[in-house]
Amino acid sequence: MKKTLFAAALFAATAIGAVAPAFAAPVSYKIDPAHTAVAFIVNHVAFSNVIGRFNTVGGDVTFDKDAVEKSVVNVTIDTASVDTNHAKRDEHLRSPDFFNAKEFPKMTFKSTKIEKTGDKTGKLHGDLTMLGVTKPVVLDITFNKDGVSPASKLETAGFSARGTVKRTDFGMKYGAPAIGDDIQLLIEVEAVKS
Amino acid sequence: MSELLQDPFVQSSVLPLLAGLILVGALHLLRRSLAAAGIAAGFLVVFAMVIGLPALPPPSSMGKLFWASAVGLLLGAAADAAGVRGRVASAVLAVWLAASLLWIALPALDSAVAVVTLVILLGTAACVAFARGSETHGSEGGGSEGGGSPTAPAASLLALALAVGGTALIGSSASIAQMALALAASAGAFLLWNWPVERHGWGLSGRVATGIAVLLAAVLALFTQTQAAVLLLALPALLAGHVRRFLPQGDGLIGRAASAAAVTVVAVLPALVAIGAAYALTGGEASPY
Repeated sequence: MKKTLFAAALFAATAIGAVAPAFAAPVSYKIDPAHTAVAFIVNHVAFSNVIGRFNTVGGDVTFDKDAVEKSVVNVTIDTASVDTNHAKRDEHLRSPDFFNAKEFPKMTFKSTKIEKTGDKTGKLHGDLTMLGVTKPVVLDITFNKDGVSPASKLETAGFSARGTVKRTDFGMKYGAPAIGDDIQLLIEVEAVKS
Repeated sequence: MSELLQDPFVQSSVLPLLAGLILVGALHLLRRSLAAAGIAAGFLVVFAMVIGLPALPPPSSMGKLFWASAVGLLLGAAADAAGVRGRVASAVLAVWLAASLLWIALPALDSAVAVVTLVILLGTAACVAFARGSETHGSEGGGSEGGGSPTAPAASLLALALAVGGTALIGSSASIAQMALALAASAGAFLLWNWPVERHGWGLSGRVATGIAVLLAAVLALFTQTQAAVLLLALPALLAGHVRRFLPQGDGLIGRAASAAAVTVVAVLPALVAIGAAYALTGGEASPY
């Protein structure tokens, strides 16, 4: 009887151990602002492309290494932190013509779905809220690396995302289409285990 | 043609001037007392063409500005069509303007400066609604009907809208600048209809248009980093009707034309002072970038 119980316990332990990785708990990370960049490229009257970024970005990532599709990304951006390396233009970008930062101080992205398209690539679906308007967007995402960072000694995950949004979809119509309607997004994120 | 309509200069001058000329003329034909409603109507048409028709309910202050202006236009036109004047008209104007200002300002009231700005705007709104002569100043002039001689109050509106537009342009708020200059151009169209012979009354519709200039100033002062305090320097433009009494009144067509032109020039002077102050405060930078 004792032998039977031991065998059952051993089997159960082995079986649980075998399936455990499939139920690995998703890990919560906080976005590391020092190693995160949200940049954009917009066409300027067909002469050139202006590059800008937001200097204040925060958020969290719930990363499930074994089921990436179950990961969740929430990002918040301070619109007043827009920076195109030109003070007057940045003042204009904060005005009601563009980001209307006084009235809409935050821009948010909440993921709704992640599709895996390759070993390290996927499509990040989510809702982008800007100027009080929420629209679905899809970003191409690359999972770069996760593990202990040799610099910070902290558990870190990193990914890159690229995509395009139409600013007029969010009611940002000033100057379009001379000042490009399609905004290219370049996002680089490092998130640290919280 | 579409490229021409994309030109910011055309959008804020030629287009609203033409819209104002057509709408004032059309409303004149429909009912003479409604002609001044062409100013606000011209402004709204140009707003919809340049910025687009805002959503309802409007998420932003510019959208609120549009719909508040549309309500004001309807109130003004209804009151003028019904012949409502005097204290009742002033009360209607005051309630509309105060409610619109509060609606627009509410999300921005996060500091003492914003509250003080709102109080100043409400005070200006009270002047527009109740100040002695705001409805009838200059009424001793020309052959108008329904609410007094229009030249002085239209010149006041032209000046206030120019001040808001010029200050916004210097302060990097292009869409507010364009809309304020469009309002100024629409007022200019009304002035042209009434020069050298005054044909129309100012009525509640005209005062609503002046109220729209105050709403534009509110959006500029509360939602941008512009040096909007300089707009205080433009407020003496509201006294154009009183100034007219001190200017020589010409006899005959040429005399009346000269008198109306002089009133307009005098009214615009404080606006130029305000724009000059805004320019000086930004360190004399003519173009934002």
